[in-house]
Amino acid sequence: MHDMEKRLILKIEGLRAKAGDKEILKGIDLSINEGEIHAVMGPNGAGKSTLSAVLAGKPQFEVTEGSVTFLGRNLLEMSPEERSWAGIFLSFQYPVEIPGVSITNFMKTAVNSRRKGKGLEPLKAAEFLKLMKEKMSFVQMKPEFAKREVNVGFSGGEKKRNEIFQMAMLDPVLSILDETDSGLDVDALRIVANGVNMLHTPEKAAIVITHYQRLLDYIVPDVVHVLKDGRIVKTAGKELVARIENEGYDSI
Amino acid sequence: MEVLTVNRGCVLKRILVYGAGNNIPDDLKNAGWLDVLPEKLVLEEDSHAEISIFVLPGFSGNIRLTAEFAGERADLKLCGAYICTGEDRLSLDMEVRHEVPGCHSDQIFKGLAAGHSRADFFGRIIVAENAFKTEAYQANHNLLLSDTAKVDTKPQLEIYADDVKCSHGATIGRLDEEEQFYMRSRGIPLDEAALLQIMSFVSPVIGTVPDGPGKDFLVSEIEQMSRNLLNAGKTGQVD
Repeated sequence: MHDMEKRLILKIEGLRAKAGDKEILKGIDLSINEGEIHAVMGPNGAGKSTLSAVLAGKPQFEVTEGSVTFLGRNLLEMSPEERSWAGIFLSFQYPVEIPGVSITNFMKTAVNSRRKGKGLEPLKAAEFLKLMKEKMSFVQMKPEFAKREVNVGFSGGEKKRNEIFQMAMLDPVLSILDETDSGLDVDALRIVANGVNMLHTPEKAAIVITHYQRLLDYIVPDVVHVLKDGRIVKTAGKELVARIENEGYDSI
Repeated sequence: MEVLTVNRGCVLKRILVYGAGNNIPDDLKNAGWLDVLPEKLVLEEDSHAEISIFVLPGFSGNIRLTAEFAGERADLKLCGAYICTGEDRLSLDMEVRHEVPGCHSDQIFKGLAAGHSRADFFGRIIVAENAFKTEAYQANHNLLLSDTAKVDTKPQLEIYADDVKCSHGATIGRLDEEEQFYMRSRGIPLDEAALLQIMSFVSPVIGTVPDGPGKDFLVSEIEQMSRNLLNAGKTGQVD
């Protein structure tokens, strides 16, 4: 094979981060090329969710050392909204409820904020609604969904489908899925995984953070990392998933 | 004392706006939106009253109401949203008296305080000895948008009857950072996120206004005023 060189999407070097006085990430190195899906697995408390939050720019975490480059730009200098505009999307483990704000209004604000950030005019109402309809079908959401208040009264499955719907709307280059499988039954898991797979293209990349093998049966990773106590202790191919499932994290 | 009586079986629906100044369209003026509350509201048997109060920035003063259930099976929905800023001094004093059995009252008040403003909420529910089967609820939630604003909330529940359902709750907080991060991660800038939070916060009260030009006026006034508040200080960011 004579591949063209792949574009580097994300490069993390020596990343250390803390919350309050507690250091959680203790030196992470990770590179992701376009077209790749990376799984980050690890026991509870390893720092998996912190890693995703730091990449998305959550203010409660302080980066103390290292660098993160996203499409050639210094990610750590960017606000959470700028990271979103640049093409990063975080699917939350616990999506936040916003009473009184409809999905439509929320997404219109999100889509048009990004367009504004890029110097574009707001999307016309008809175009926006067409986009909504198209992306809702991705995750099998009924039309009433658009009028519902963001995550209010949603089941676990609906919340995660809503995350993937938002991901489809925002069309990110790098998707970070933080424990997207938690709280999902098999049907919801399949819908969510299908959505993710349909959105994945050779120009994009994804980080799938999970504790269990389950989700990785549906979203097949190219590279698997094991995170333990704030460090990546092992990186291998997808065969590592089965080993973890059989032998547990202690064996690594 | 000025007393407004809702006669037996009748329905009263009122929307009152304080501090709207001259911005308010004529048809809303004509609909009584600039009227003031009566000092006392009396609800007769099987009557129903819905009162929504909006206090916009720039208003200082006392807003008081005593609502009294004088006949059984009457129903009161009383709600308000207040936005205080600058040097505003607002005092809201709501008293609901359940004197007879089987009535229902539901109150929700939502307050935003910015600048050097001060808002005091006194909410008193009295359930008299014979007023069994009463249902009375009250909630007062407040958001502080600056370090120099002050809110004082004093809910009071006096129950002298058995077999009633009553509750009250009061909170004073700040704009939630988890919500903000969620919105920002979707590309919504901090000030827009804070605006959505404010609109979300007052939505239960705005939701009591029927759809139409009146609601549109209120929503755009509150949005515009909230934008001004957010621009005036870094009120969306809480450290």
